[in-house]
Amino acid sequence: MKQIDARGLACPQPVILAKKALETDPVVEITVDNRTAVENVTRLAQSQKCSVNVAERNDGAFTLRIEKNSGGEKRAESLDGPAVSTLYKGLIVVLSEDRMGRGSDELGRVLIRSFLHTLTETVPLPEKIICYNTGVKLAAEESDVLDDLGDLQKKGVDVLVCGTCLNYFGLSDKLKVGKVSNMYDIATLLVNASRMVCP
Amino acid sequence: MSLMARDYSFLLFKSVSHALSAEIILKRHEIPFKLIPVPKQISSDCGVCIRFSPVDNERITGALSCAVDIDRVVSAGCDTIFS
Repeated sequence: MKQIDARGLACPQPVILAKKALETDPVVEITVDNRTAVENVTRLAQSQKCSVNVAERNDGAFTLRIEKNSGGEKRAESLDGPAVSTLYKGLIVVLSEDRMGRGSDELGRVLIRSFLHTLTETVPLPEKIICYNTGVKLAAEESDVLDDLGDLQKKGVDVLVCGTCLNYFGLSDKLKVGKVSNMYDIATLLVNASRMVCP
Repeated sequence: MSLMARDYSFLLFKSVSHALSAEIILKRHEIPFKLIPVPKQISSDCGVCIRFSPVDNERITGALSCAVDIDRVVSAGCDTIFS
C-alpha cells in the first residue's frame, strides 16, 4: 500500500499523485485537507474502477483509501441519468464565460440564458458541460440559468465546474449545480473530446 | 417539456431592451417568470420573450402597464392583443 500526504497541495496535485500511485500500487491511502480535493480524488478513483472510502480525521483533514477492484463504483452519470443514447458521447459544451459572444455584455448574458434553455430541448444532449473562468458564475448562487443547468443535469448531462475559478470568485460555498472539478479532469476531457461547442 | 407547454403564457416585446426592462420590473415585484427565446411556434424572429404562468396574468399586467411597451401576449392556444 502506498501512503501519500497531499495536505497543503493545490488542485490538481492530489489527483495527479493519486493517479501515479495507482499505476504501481493496488491500494493507495491519500490524505488531503479540503473537501474539493476529496471530491476530485474520489472522482478519479471512480473513473479508475476503484472503491474509495473517506475518513475524516480529528485534525480536519481527510484520508481516502483507494482500492483497485474489478467492480468499482458506478459512475455518477449512470446513477440517476437517462439512457445513455440520449447523450452524445464525447460532445462537450464549454462555458468559459457567463455570457455568449463579444460586444455587449448585457446582450451576451441574455444570449447565454437563451442558449442554455434551448440546449435543454436539443437531442442528443451533450455528455458534459464544463464551466470555467466567469462561466462558473452560471452554476452558482444568483445565476439565472440554475433551473436549466439543473434540468440538463437531471437528464444525465455531467456538469463540471472549475474549483480554482469558484475559489477565485469567492463562490466555493455557492455552487448550486454541478460538481467541482479541476484542471486535470478538464484538460483530459477537452483533449479527448470528439466535439466541442463553445458558445 | 415542450417550449409551447400549454401551461404557459408568453409576453412578446418589440425589442430585447423592452424584454429586459420588463424583467427588471417583474423581479422587483417578485412575480415568477422565465426569460426564454421566443418559441419557434410563435415566431421565426430571433428574440426573447417572457414565459409565465397564466395565474399571474393580472399581476403581470398590473406591474407592466404604463411601464413597458408589450407587443402581444400569447396564451395557451390563443393570441390576444395586450392593451
